[in-house]
Amino acid sequence: MNKTVKSLLAATMIALITTASHAADKIKIATDATFPPFESIDSSGKLVGYDVELMQAVCDAVKLDCDIFNAAWDGMIPGLIDGKYDALISQLTVTEKRRQILAFSDIYDHPIFRFVAKRGASFEFTPEGLAGKTIAVQTGTPMDAYITSHYPKAIIKRYDTGSSPYLELTAGRADLHISYQAQIIHGFLNSDSGKGFELVGPELTGKDAKEFGEGVAVAVNKKNSELISQINKGLATLRGNGQLAALNKKYFGE
Amino acid sequence: MNWDIIVENLGLYAAGAKLTLLLTVVSLALSFFIAVPLALARNSPSPLLRYPVFVYTLIFRGTPLLVQLFLIYFGLAQFELVRTSIVWPWLSSPLVCVLIAFVMNTTAYSTEIFAGGLRHIPFGEVEAARAYGMSPLTRARRILIPAMLTRSLPLYGNETIMMLQATSLASTVTLLEITGVARNITLTYYVQFEPYATAAMIYLVFTFILVGLFQLVERRWAGYLEHRVG
Repeated sequence: MNKTVKSLLAATMIALITTASHAADKIKIATDATFPPFESIDSSGKLVGYDVELMQAVCDAVKLDCDIFNAAWDGMIPGLIDGKYDALISQLTVTEKRRQILAFSDIYDHPIFRFVAKRGASFEFTPEGLAGKTIAVQTGTPMDAYITSHYPKAIIKRYDTGSSPYLELTAGRADLHISYQAQIIHGFLNSDSGKGFELVGPELTGKDAKEFGEGVAVAVNKKNSELISQINKGLATLRGNGQLAALNKKYFGE
Repeated sequence: MNWDIIVENLGLYAAGAKLTLLLTVVSLALSFFIAVPLALARNSPSPLLRYPVFVYTLIFRGTPLLVQLFLIYFGLAQFELVRTSIVWPWLSSPLVCVLIAFVMNTTAYSTEIFAGGLRHIPFGEVEAARAYGMSPLTRARRILIPAMLTRSLPLYGNETIMMLQATSLASTVTLLEITGVARNITLTYYVQFEPYATAAMIYLVFTFILVGLFQLVERRWAGYLEHRVG
């Protein structure tokens, strides 16, 4: 890179940093609001969902001034690494690969992953059995990694958001979709458009395939160990005073 | 900076570039052959020909291409009638939906560009053709269409560049053209600058080629217009 470009970049960076520092008082937490019931936007434009409530409760518990907002999935992890966001809460699965670049809070949930398909359709869940079948996934998710490595003969369709695969499933463009079981049930099967569809195949967790990771946690920049310990403190408080259990009951009836 | 990731994935970019080229060339080729007769119809003295074309170009220039693409790809799929019809095998393919949207959109713009060129043909040229006793069809083939196309060249060249850049929207419906490839890499490797910068470079190269092509074409077929200006 030559000098002019470098100095231009430097000037831009300085401008960006100074603008950013004005809003730096709040903890900036991003979520991809296309994933009900964990994170979505309601009809009044407000962020709602399990993760959103949990994060707010954590912030309240340790008196952090948090600003939770919607961000595009494809820029979230790079945005965290670059310092655009302070933390991410978006049903982020803790995987070995992500641990290399991100830091995680304590795990707050152990999701089960399932396939969903048209009621009555039968599948054989082997690499041969799913050969030629169209599977819709959200790009860059554990589900994407799992399908890519375990079902190489399937046709994989990748989407930017967590909700587009359901459009494809109802349109009949995809035979299968794989996601978090709770999201499939509460975000799709329980809605009008989910009528005529059902969960299929095995219940999958991190024990079945390493792509599914250890569980879900809040992601934080590696350099920000102070924030991790505060979030962990908040999570422990919610576990202790029953707030986490109440939240689970509210959303999943568990 | 981590350009190794780009080098590792050059094969993906090559495949993406191929798809981008295919989308651009097919959309432009189809739309060209539809737009030429539509431009003549747009200037026809008969309102039965003129108004339908006007309404069509108004709708497709009056709405964003992305919305048109979503309406065709996601919107149509909502209707049982469409899903059970004989055209569904085609409409269920993202490639076909993207091509329909692109062709409909760029045809609307090209039609207006050509129709504008047609209106700027000096009346003397048309009159001379009539005086020679040319039939309307011969007149269109020998005089109107060539004169219309040569006069539209600079604007039409612009439209082809816009079409090339617009193909990036195909990535929103799962097609892995250049932008789709770049986005996929950002999601797999968590870097943002290098993948998109590479994509931008490829578009830039394609644009240079298009600009060069149009300069050649203008020199070859529209040279006679230059003299007049000078």
